[in-house]
Amino acid sequence: MEKGSTFCEARYFENRGNSIIVENGVAKALGSRISRGVGVRVIFGRRWGFASTNVPDRTSTEGALSDAISAARSIAGSATEEAQIATVESETETVMHSVKTPPDSVSPEQKVKQILDIEKAARSFDRRVKDTFVNYRDSWTKVTVCNSFGTSVEETTPRTFVFCRVISREGANMQTALEYSGGVEGCELIERAQSEGLPQKAADKAVKLLSAHSPPRGTQTVIVDQRVGGLFMHEAFGHNSEADAVLAGQSIVADKIGQKVASDSVTIVDDPTVSGNGSYTYDDEGVKAEPHIIVKDGVLVGFLHSLESAAKLKARPQGSARAQSHQYPPIIRMSNTYLAPGTMTLDEMLRDTRTGVYLTGSHSGYVETQKGQFTCRVEQGWLIENGNLTEHLRDVSFSGLTLDALKSISAVGRDFKIDAPGTCGKDDQNIPTDAGAPHFRIDRIVVGGRA
Amino acid sequence: MREEVDIVTPVERAVTRLSTTGVDFFDVFSSFSRSLKTKVMGRGIVDVNSIVDVGIGVRVFKNKGMGGASSQSLDPSDIDDTVKKALAYANVAQPDPYFKGMPGPSRAPKVTGLCDNGVNGLNPLDVGKLTEEMIGATKEVRQGAMMSGGIGTSHFRTYLMASTGVNIEDQRTIVGAYLSVTYREGVDVGSSSEFEYGVSIPEIDFAQVGRKAARKAVEQFGSEKVESATLPLVIAPDSASTLVFSLAGAISGEAAVKGRTFASGLLGKQVARESLTVVDDGTLPGAVGSDTYDGEGVPTRRVTVLDKGVLREFLHNSYSAGIAGVKTNAHAQRGGYGISVGAGPTNLLVSPGDCSRDEMIADTRRGVLVMGAMFYPNSVTGEFSSTLDEAFLIENGEVKHPVKNLMAGGHVLELCRGIDMISKEGRTYGRGHFVPYVRASGVRLSGS
Repeated sequence: MEKGSTFCEARYFENRGNSIIVENGVAKALGSRISRGVGVRVIFGRRWGFASTNVPDRTSTEGALSDAISAARSIAGSATEEAQIATVESETETVMHSVKTPPDSVSPEQKVKQILDIEKAARSFDRRVKDTFVNYRDSWTKVTVCNSFGTSVEETTPRTFVFCRVISREGANMQTALEYSGGVEGCELIERAQSEGLPQKAADKAVKLLSAHSPPRGTQTVIVDQRVGGLFMHEAFGHNSEADAVLAGQSIVADKIGQKVASDSVTIVDDPTVSGNGSYTYDDEGVKAEPHIIVKDGVLVGFLHSLESAAKLKARPQGSARAQSHQYPPIIRMSNTYLAPGTMTLDEMLRDTRTGVYLTGSHSGYVETQKGQFTCRVEQGWLIENGNLTEHLRDVSFSGLTLDALKSISAVGRDFKIDAPGTCGKDDQNIPTDAGAPHFRIDRIVVGGRA
Repeated sequence: MREEVDIVTPVERAVTRLSTTGVDFFDVFSSFSRSLKTKVMGRGIVDVNSIVDVGIGVRVFKNKGMGGASSQSLDPSDIDDTVKKALAYANVAQPDPYFKGMPGPSRAPKVTGLCDNGVNGLNPLDVGKLTEEMIGATKEVRQGAMMSGGIGTSHFRTYLMASTGVNIEDQRTIVGAYLSVTYREGVDVGSSSEFEYGVSIPEIDFAQVGRKAARKAVEQFGSEKVESATLPLVIAPDSASTLVFSLAGAISGEAAVKGRTFASGLLGKQVARESLTVVDDGTLPGAVGSDTYDGEGVPTRRVTVLDKGVLREFLHNSYSAGIAGVKTNAHAQRGGYGISVGAGPTNLLVSPGDCSRDEMIADTRRGVLVMGAMFYPNSVTGEFSSTLDEAFLIENGEVKHPVKNLMAGGHVLELCRGIDMISKEGRTYGRGHFVPYVRASGVRLSGS
């Protein structure tokens, strides 16, 4: 601030992690990583500047500060968007997310033994299992944010994941399936993965996909499970509600606050405070996180904000700015994004559907927010014929226009679950997120396939 | 700030520590990079970032099991801890029966033109000006663009030492520009993007990136839904390259040789028509995908991947080559200073055909011109289902109007076998990859 900045922020980041790779009964590789450093962000001459260093000592941090100021100064006369920032009360707190069994309390030998047991359960499931892979990852992340508002917060978060992938084979037909679990928890996850039959589920799915068929193509009624529903909410709508996309003219709902954007049964929330892989107490600008209701009963009521977007759109910041590490500035991101539950059961929904497709297991997705066109890839599906699930389907994708799809949601279930731990990529930054929904039905959407 | 970080001494320290441990193999890799990035959002630049990244990765093989560790700190005590962790993990890892060892040292003529001192000397003001040039050019096409994107420049230095005697110090530069442009007319949206990348600043026309993105965005106004059908696709290079990379991924590394991809059993077989030949060449001077040595220190080379439609060779690192019982063909790839060493293509060159893009369209009675789509399949099954993000309907040999909400589905090998025309013109990426227009017949489309 002595150098003339109107805002200054220093963020220390440290991540320590371990990984184990088991393939076909062999724990063939174990890995460990440490990353740490400082990111410095300033507003200088009404422009943003950011710099980072992996050397977290005083000299290098001061060098990064100098670079950040130079960066801001360099675009003073350019065609730039003027920097603004919402003024917030300072926060001072140290947060430590505790877990039942911290990963560093378990020896590598013990972890290897448990992961081998998981892999063995998948491998011995069926003679058609060709290859099995179990990857284990744990991480311990500490973020300290200090800024010129007087904020000084530190948050430490452990995360643990288990991924089980199975390749099945029968003759020339080969299929693959994945089951995974993880989030803000410790090594108790490994036992839970075993007790909940994670490897058996992966193997069962891979084997059953051998007799699945390509989906019928064209416009269909679809019912989606909690993972596909979560993926849909994240991709099709969530990215459109990020206020940086709104400010950049890249969101199809930029001018729709207070307007109907979905059917009455749709309420969409992004909530870092509920349990999930995207949970945190403070965002990477040091703002205390709160639940954000984005759509209520079909009406758009808010966007996700950083301190900058809150200032520009005159909103109250609720803590949605996140950074992958010290090497990136915080940008607006989702956390745990979900469709709130309704009242129907899956059976009621199916009985009420004459023909369509039931889709389960999210794979990946993307959206072009400016056009509102999204694509979701899912693991498997079933034909719905006269309310019954019939033919098993594989390699299914569906695509649509966000606002058309949201208005076509005709039934929302009550079996709500947040269960899609993963990472979301935006502007080259990958951050942990989660998503969920109950089962729900979309009346007309394009389903892609070979048939 | 110009941090002149020494990345050689820490590697030598780690190697000294490891040399007396009696392990079977090890390698140590360090890198330093300095990057400048501008970010464009809305109508202009929102920030400039200056990023320094440094780190070291250690891999240790003992009884065919691997322990690895990486650190972003090059302090002597952290190097020692990293070595200890890698050793401890190697003691816990179990024998991988497929591991046959690591390649020894060899020398090759330096591939030139991969590092431009001009990039190393750039400051934020320079990158800001180039970004202004890019976004300003959109106005030549149409005012009122809302944008996202930016320019990034990076200078990398790397150092690799292995127990087999491999000892390679290298440096390179990369410059990239990307701009997504959106225009609105009432409820109608015209949106598209353009990118370019290379080794040096002069080889990129930043204004042209802005102009092309704006022009393509304007062409997207008035998109219409079309019905499901089975039609030929005329696939432009940006989309055809995803098909080529999908094939390359399916023939790379351990997944290919362990029978885990749709292309695993196709070596020596006809997978496309005779008109399709694809070469991978990591020795092209000045190409972003080139290098003198691959990620394990093996001299890069030219490999014919697809010869008149016949799959001739997989892309190997030493691990997959050991399984296949052949010598590595230098396609090992490192993900920075982490401990992962995979395999993949360098510069992929698809041989051009003999017709023009316009002839290809004129020869299509009814079809779709695909300007933007990602034909990435399920790597095990080869089946894909992709949205045609930017596409135009072709009727009676003429491009009619943009289409929306249209998907293509099938198997990538069916798509390859369906290629019946290849253009003589195409696009070169980063002075390396070359991909022409291709026409694939009989593609199943899902629409309204």
